[in-house]
Amino acid sequence: MTDFVNNRAGGAQVGRNVTKIDAFKLARGEPVYTDDVHPAGMLWAKVLGSPHAHARILDVDASRALALPGVVDVAWHRQVKPILHTRAGQSHPEPSPYDTVIMPDKARHMGDRVAIVVAETLAIAEQALGLIDVKYEVLPALTDMDEALARTDVLVHEVADPRGIAEGGRSNVAARIDKQVGDVSAALKTCDHVVERTYWLPRVQASHIEPHVAISWLDEDGRLVVRTSTQVPFHLRRILARILELKEADIRVVKPRVGGGFGDKQEMVMEDIVALMTLRTKRPVRLEFTRTEELTSARCRHPQRIVMTTGVMNDGTIIANRMNVTADTGAYGSHALTVQGNTGQKVLPMYPCANIHFQVTCLYTNNPISGAFRGYGAPQGCFALESHIDEVAKVLGMDRLELRKKNHIRLGDTDPLSAKLGEGREGLSRVIRSTGLETAIEMGCDAIGWTRKRPPSAPHLRRGLGMALAMQGSGIAGVDWGAATVKLNEDGSVNLAVGATDIGQGSDTVLAQMCAQELGISYEKVRVLSSDTDLTPFDVGAYASSTTYVSGGAVVKAAQQMRDQLAGVFAEKWACPAGDVVFGDDNVSCGPDKAMTMAELATHALYAAKMQPAATASHMSNESPPPFAAQFADVEVDPETGEVFLRRFVSAVDCGTPIHPGMAEGQIEGAVSQAIGYALFEEVIVDRAGKVKNPNFLDYKIASALDMPEMVTILVPTMEPSGPYGVKAAGEVPIDGPAPAIVNAICDAVGARLCRIPATPERVWRQIKEAGE
Amino acid sequence: MKIVVKLNGRNREWEAAPGATLLSVLRDGPQEPRMTSVKRGCETGDCGACTVLLDGQPVNSCVVAAARAHGHAVTTIEGLAGDPLMTALQAALVEHAAVQCGYCSPGMLVSLYHLLKECRAAGTTPGDHAIREALSGNLCRCTGYVKPVAAATAVAATLAAVGRAEAGAR
Amino acid sequence: MWELKEYRIAGSIGEAVAMMRRGPGKGVYIAGGTDLFLFPPACDYVVDINHVGMSNIARTPDGDLFIGAAATLHDIATCPLVTGFAGGLVSAAAAHCGNRPVRTTATIGGNLCNALPSADLAPALLALDAVCYIADEDSQESLPLEEFFTGPRRTVLDGRLLVGIALSAASGGWRAAARRLTRSAEDIALVQVAVALEIDGDRVGAARIALGSVAPVPMRAMLAEALVEGELIANLDPDRLADAAAIAAGECEPIDDHRASAEYRREMVGVLTRRLLASVLAGSTDTSPGTDNEGGAA
Repeated sequence: MTDFVNNRAGGAQVGRNVTKIDAFKLARGEPVYTDDVHPAGMLWAKVLGSPHAHARILDVDASRALALPGVVDVAWHRQVKPILHTRAGQSHPEPSPYDTVIMPDKARHMGDRVAIVVAETLAIAEQALGLIDVKYEVLPALTDMDEALARTDVLVHEVADPRGIAEGGRSNVAARIDKQVGDVSAALKTCDHVVERTYWLPRVQASHIEPHVAISWLDEDGRLVVRTSTQVPFHLRRILARILELKEADIRVVKPRVGGGFGDKQEMVMEDIVALMTLRTKRPVRLEFTRTEELTSARCRHPQRIVMTTGVMNDGTIIANRMNVTADTGAYGSHALTVQGNTGQKVLPMYPCANIHFQVTCLYTNNPISGAFRGYGAPQGCFALESHIDEVAKVLGMDRLELRKKNHIRLGDTDPLSAKLGEGREGLSRVIRSTGLETAIEMGCDAIGWTRKRPPSAPHLRRGLGMALAMQGSGIAGVDWGAATVKLNEDGSVNLAVGATDIGQGSDTVLAQMCAQELGISYEKVRVLSSDTDLTPFDVGAYASSTTYVSGGAVVKAAQQMRDQLAGVFAEKWACPAGDVVFGDDNVSCGPDKAMTMAELATHALYAAKMQPAATASHMSNESPPPFAAQFADVEVDPETGEVFLRRFVSAVDCGTPIHPGMAEGQIEGAVSQAIGYALFEEVIVDRAGKVKNPNFLDYKIASALDMPEMVTILVPTMEPSGPYGVKAAGEVPIDGPAPAIVNAICDAVGARLCRIPATPERVWRQIKEAGE
Repeated sequence: MKIVVKLNGRNREWEAAPGATLLSVLRDGPQEPRMTSVKRGCETGDCGACTVLLDGQPVNSCVVAAARAHGHAVTTIEGLAGDPLMTALQAALVEHAAVQCGYCSPGMLVSLYHLLKECRAAGTTPGDHAIREALSGNLCRCTGYVKPVAAATAVAATLAAVGRAEAGAR
Repeated sequence: MWELKEYRIAGSIGEAVAMMRRGPGKGVYIAGGTDLFLFPPACDYVVDINHVGMSNIARTPDGDLFIGAAATLHDIATCPLVTGFAGGLVSAAAAHCGNRPVRTTATIGGNLCNALPSADLAPALLALDAVCYIADEDSQESLPLEEFFTGPRRTVLDGRLLVGIALSAASGGWRAAARRLTRSAEDIALVQVAVALEIDGDRVGAARIALGSVAPVPMRAMLAEALVEGELIANLDPDRLADAAAIAAGECEPIDDHRASAEYRREMVGVLTRRLLASVLAGSTDTSPGTDNEGGAA
């Protein structure tokens, strides 16, 4: 792990690889996750999922199930008030269509909610599922995007979204985007070459190892408590209040340790179910998804078809770029507009040109539900664009690295598309105020051996190198915000309460470092609480690569405010100017003879000055500075079998100033491992009837330790002016580039262009055959 | 059915359904204390979050019948608290920032513990491939395995150095 | 959770079969149980055969290798008797099956009795002329492994118990290699090929080509074998090997499924068979994917 020396002097807390504050208890297996603590009298819930991809639920007879000893309650649509909402877990006003109710009267995908059982044991609940008799009216299942677009006689949603976002009742379109800068059609006519290709992106699943799990109960005041593995406690509270017709004041959402989220836990996948059943039974209720339910009924990355059209001059100048996206949001429109918006917004600005056209048609189908997944649309767009750049270079006969270098975005460039595409509405324009992209390209090329490709390791193999550039954002400009509360205790320790959600990425540690840095104390003195809607201030939650940049800004502000209070207390005691008070190394001083430890000052504040040093601050950024990545793959391909052997993978990433370099590297390495799966073997395969053919880890493969290549991770620090300590985001950008880099390397090795991933052995083999014909 | 096991060194008597998995008995209760280090992740023996030692050998407790453990010794990470090798492994994972969400960590640690114990007994030092092979049954979606492998490599190197020093002393 | 009524633990082979025959309802033998928990079969009881003395691995006085049906995949992968037999073909197959914790409890008997077309041990065992020993309450019989599988998830057993597998001393000296093609490192095999050749001076004696995941049951490509068996090694030039491989590809009966198409599977039988024949003839048995030898001498 790299330590950043520039920040180490003077007991600096940021820029250091400190011990992750929750790591030991996690490594000891202590009871810290949602399912590790079971309240007394807890009931076990199970969902009866629809066996049909599209069917009206005419009647449910639960009498046989209710007769089974140990079954406490069964709920279905007739018993639950249908209040339209979205489970997307976004800021109010939500940009996703209101197309969902707690218990639908029509199943829209296999596994959609038909009935909920709660019972005294899990075994009884499972047994009861088989005793529920359901009358269905089976409807034609739309599982193909083009068919869904063409047909209006079969509608996945017959009721229009009340806010006019989707076209329910009229068509199967969940979202449309059509934004243009300049005039692409006119510009293409002036270009020396126009290159058009179509790319296909698969449905993949986040596959956090801890499944979705939630436990709810009524506390001694009759308030609803939901303890859940979530990224968005505050959004959950708001949504639950609305759909359960409770006051927000009567709901408390608690997020304990979370076993990975990756966007899939931004969604309210099940919290409404446990809350509903607790309200009905007045008892604690627990629901956990099985892996099969995760792969059929949680959320997937949106499958897309992307047509890229690029106009380019002989010298490699890109004149115009058009990206036309057709996407499958599945049964519900969670993130339908915004994920697809990101496909263009986070990707097309990489190669600024005067003419950019971005079109989206996102369709409802009877397939599993799409939604948020790390990268949030950008991995799809990046695959298309970065594959396409290699194709353009081939047409031009130009070196693909040179083509990228000639056109990529630079310091001071503006990004006109961002202004046109905000979070579902007009956004804010973006100027690049920090970039390490040139350095990243240079260092990455060096690490992969771009100019000295190694020979194949065996005569029957072919070797190839590939690269891709990527950019993302740091939070959603003008939307994402968070707050932090700091409070000093008499021993000099600090309570830091944040709504920001640590879901394993280590944000509690990073925020503690930032807090400690401002107060001149060791990060170990900071006790972090995250997140509890009763006890911590608001935060939108952990998504859109926002926590370090946005929530970190709130922590810095709150700590600074408390530091100012402390400077005042110190100045009064020692009769010195508050402005001269210095904080550092757990001490507070003003000149050589006026000094106290932080603990002494805290004790003085509480018992002599009789004041509680504490502050709450909020932070929002009107910018979303992009982190950049240059990623490189070294592969060998067996042309006879189509097998791809990924030998080395290099990521050079500008995430601004890394607060914890080791954890920043960890973000990159983890993102790359997920993207290797995306590139080579991950795909939730759905047949024409809407059935998932591989709903388990036996058959839905995610990368194991044996699938990983030699990994080289390079942090390219920059100083982002809008971020605290110069930070930008790290969590998402590294997941964008690996798939195109790997596929470009395969093409370099065997001359076959894979326009569809995952690049399974069979697909590669077939493409080689076609390229040879 | 009644099942008697030696769990973390102590005899325990469980009442379990004939079809119960070892995971469900260890984790879900009603027997207390629940072994919360043993996580449910896939129930197909693929993710390894439920890895425990059965007579000292790693197993996926989600695909082992509870009844199969009757008369045998089951060890979870709770039972290895204070064990010097396990403590060293936990410290190494933490120091190497190899614990992100931590959900896979106990299973990973049980697998690594078994590998290093076996290697120490055989007087060998596991290389990169042996470590990855040992971890191949522990899926981790956070780390890309880079830092867990580095942590295990570091502990293996320390063990090798200690082994050499002991051999030198003899 | 598996709705099972009874878990019976047998103390002897005879008792196991008796417990199975006793009813009421349907029963299944259980050893490691790993596969049973993946897709619990509809059954009323299981008979645990871990305590009937079937987990032994031994060489008989005349040199045959006997592997008890309850021997675990880990034991098979690491036991020197198996790693030293026919170039370690069977132990390598066991080592590639599942992951380390699965191999602790999963057994050879379970792998074979589940009778999946993709059973990982089957091609290696078929290539070494494995013989199955099957017990009834008061009798025992043996039959070639080829006759054991009757269809996907179906065997000849019908309530009887697979006691073990025997490989003849002669096959222990055969040169052999195998390869499985997968999407990721640990995966259900798309195609499996195992090749074993008896090298008798300048001539090939017995030749075995066994295939997995490409037919309703694991199978031997006997027409292809015939092209190689008894041939002078000098005559087995790349063209001849390619012919044998093409015949093997013609013999298999793969299906399309979500993992791979029948067309690809058939083609890969050809590619892998050709390469394995070449590398086995060249004396190399390390044919792990992407290594130097794997391309074969052809």
